[in-house]
Amino acid sequence: MSQLRVAGSLDSLGEIAEYVMAAAGEAGLDQQTSYRLRLAIDEIVTNIILYGYAGAGLQGDLHLQSTVDENALTISVVDTGVTYDPRQTPSPDNLDIPLEQRSMGGLGIYLALQNVDQFNYERVDDRNRSTFIVHRKTSSAAE
Amino acid sequence: MAFSADLDINSGIAKITLSGQLDASVAPDFQSQVEKAAAQQAMRLVLLMNDLDYMASAGLRALIFAKQKMGSGVALYVVGAQPQVMEVMQKTGFDRSIIALEEYDPEAIENL
Repeated sequence: MSQLRVAGSLDSLGEIAEYVMAAAGEAGLDQQTSYRLRLAIDEIVTNIILYGYAGAGLQGDLHLQSTVDENALTISVVDTGVTYDPRQTPSPDNLDIPLEQRSMGGLGIYLALQNVDQFNYERVDDRNRSTFIVHRKTSSAAE
Repeated sequence: MAFSADLDINSGIAKITLSGQLDASVAPDFQSQVEKAAAQQAMRLVLLMNDLDYMASAGLRALIFAKQKMGSGVALYVVGAQPQVMEVMQKTGFDRSIIALEEYDPEAIENL
C-alpha cells in the first residue's frame, strides 16, 4: 500500500498522475488500462478541487491510497470538501449532438465511470471517499 | 504539468501545436491560444497533436469552446492524435465534429 497527500488544488494534478501511473505500473496494468485509470482519477479529482473545495469556498487536502491484490488495483481518494457524489451528476448531453450545441456538463464524470471496472463513493463523517478499482489481467488473457 | 500550446497563424490558417499533457490545470493556456486565433478571424483551426500524450475532459471542453468561438463556418482539424487521445474523442462523440487526419495534409487543409 502506498499513500499520497497533496493540496486540493489544480497544481496537484501532475503529482497525482505520477502517483497513479506508478501504482498502475507496479500492478502490471497495460498501457491502455493505466491511461484510462489515470484519466478517471484525474476527472474526479478535478471535480473535487473545483466543486468540492474551491466552488464551495473551502480548502483542503487530497489523500490517496493504493492497494494491490491478486485481482485488482484499488485507489481511493479522500477529501474534506462538500458532500459530492459523482454518481449523482447527470449524464452528459446526448453524445450525438454536434460540438457547437453541447453544454459542458457531465463529461468528466462520464469519462471517469467509463474507464474503471468499478467506482464506489461513500460519505464518512466529514469526508468523501471515492474508490477506483481496476482488475488485473494475466498476461495470457485476451482483451 | 508539462504542457505547451504554440500558435502559428498564416494565410487564415491557425495551427496550434499541443505538447505534453492537457488537464484542467493547463487547459486555460490552450483556450487563450484559441481566443487569439478567433480574434484574428482564422478560417481553419488545426490542432497538431503528435506530441500530446494525454488529454482530459478539460481538453474536450476546450474543443467545444474552440468550435463555438471560431464559428460554425470554421473547420476544426485534429492532426496526429495518439490512439488513447483519439479514443476519448470517439467515446464522447467529439470525433464527429472534427476532421481527424493522421498527418498534416496541405492540400486538404490549405485549400481555402
